[in-house]
Amino acid sequence: MSIIECRDLTKNFGKIRALNNLSFNIEENTITGLVGRNGAGKSTLLKIMAGYLQKTEGEIKVWGEDPFNNLQVSANMIFIDDNMPMPQTLSLIEILEWGSKFYKNWNMDIARGLLDYFSLAPGHFHSHLSRGLKSTFNVIVGIAARCPLTLLDEPTTGMDAAVRKDFYRALLKDYLKHPRTIIVSSHLLNEIQDILEEVLLIREGAKYLHMSISDLKEYGIGLLGKKEILEKIVEGEEVFHREELGKDTYYYVIRNTLKDQKVQEIKLAGVEIKPVTAEDLCVYLTAGKKGGIDSVFNGK
Amino acid sequence: MKLNTDGTKPLYVQISQWLETEILSGNIQKDEKIYSQYQLAEMFNINPATAAKGLNILADEGILYKRRGLGMFVSPRAKEKILKKRKNDTLRQLVWELVTESEHLGVEEEELFKMIREVKEEGRDDK
Repeated sequence: MSIIECRDLTKNFGKIRALNNLSFNIEENTITGLVGRNGAGKSTLLKIMAGYLQKTEGEIKVWGEDPFNNLQVSANMIFIDDNMPMPQTLSLIEILEWGSKFYKNWNMDIARGLLDYFSLAPGHFHSHLSRGLKSTFNVIVGIAARCPLTLLDEPTTGMDAAVRKDFYRALLKDYLKHPRTIIVSSHLLNEIQDILEEVLLIREGAKYLHMSISDLKEYGIGLLGKKEILEKIVEGEEVFHREELGKDTYYYVIRNTLKDQKVQEIKLAGVEIKPVTAEDLCVYLTAGKKGGIDSVFNGK
Repeated sequence: MKLNTDGTKPLYVQISQWLETEILSGNIQKDEKIYSQYQLAEMFNINPATAAKGLNILADEGILYKRRGLGMFVSPRAKEKILKKRKNDTLRQLVWELVTESEHLGVEEEELFKMIREVKEEGRDDK
């Protein structure tokens, strides 16, 4: 069952178009990664789902209803990001205790356990925490709330590598016990990809790809070899990326539609076949200029 | 097992291969219940849908069988099927790569056989 349905969703901020005719569905009890470059519209999209922002055009339905100004959606949803307003006068543990009054599935044992595990002093105040610790506290709220729809916008900002790893594991474990719909946006696809089921890649406010993570990992294939040979092979193929490595060596990333037979032929021609990680593929797919950063310095 | 996440092999393939190895080594016997997708997800820190894909590969190949409402179990002829598959697919692929590389290097057939024999003997000495 789809719990989020988007049809031609568009959002303008003044003259700037943040979301452009976005259409997709999110299935219930899946973990979806929302991926895209800075300014692609990830946060705007999440805030519209959360009901914080009003759409300009198109349609968005969360549990069949428009999320904006919707009590039903607010009660069953939590949105976690950097700018969560937290009460200044309450200590961390008091905030968590209040959480149980706001969210009906709230689990205080998990909240306390995580607070203790991540060495956050219960008596501290949110405003005194470092950036990484603030993020850590926010995701504790996000996990303990056990909301049917959990939206996490760049939840790991400022966390160190060890905490990020623990957080993803905590999120997965709690999800296994209490399945819910989770959408998490992140730049670090390599870190979250293992726990994802689906990936939604947006580019300049429009949907670019929406597929399962395992399909995405096999979507592209890297070819490394001599220029002339490669140019023949990639003719008529969908090329995502091209890079010059040395004098006559090229690295191509193309759509992985090659049959086994052709793969063997390519290998025989001395071309190396390399897997393309989901993260690299997303970078190639959303690259603004073909040729990347180097093109700026080449004076072209 | 530690999953290899550099993208060289899909996670669900690694899961199915790990399960095959567990069956081959006798850690999971025939007609015994195999790990559920949720257990695998927790063990390897992966999405349960990915784990399910790994299990389904083995079910499609008849290495596992499903019992409605109870989960998946190891087929009586699982070991046989795995060995046959590995011989036909994995070993064949390795041999193909071996032959291709030796052609690139201009190694004659006889020399290649000699190398194989040498490696086998070294292996025997080590034991």
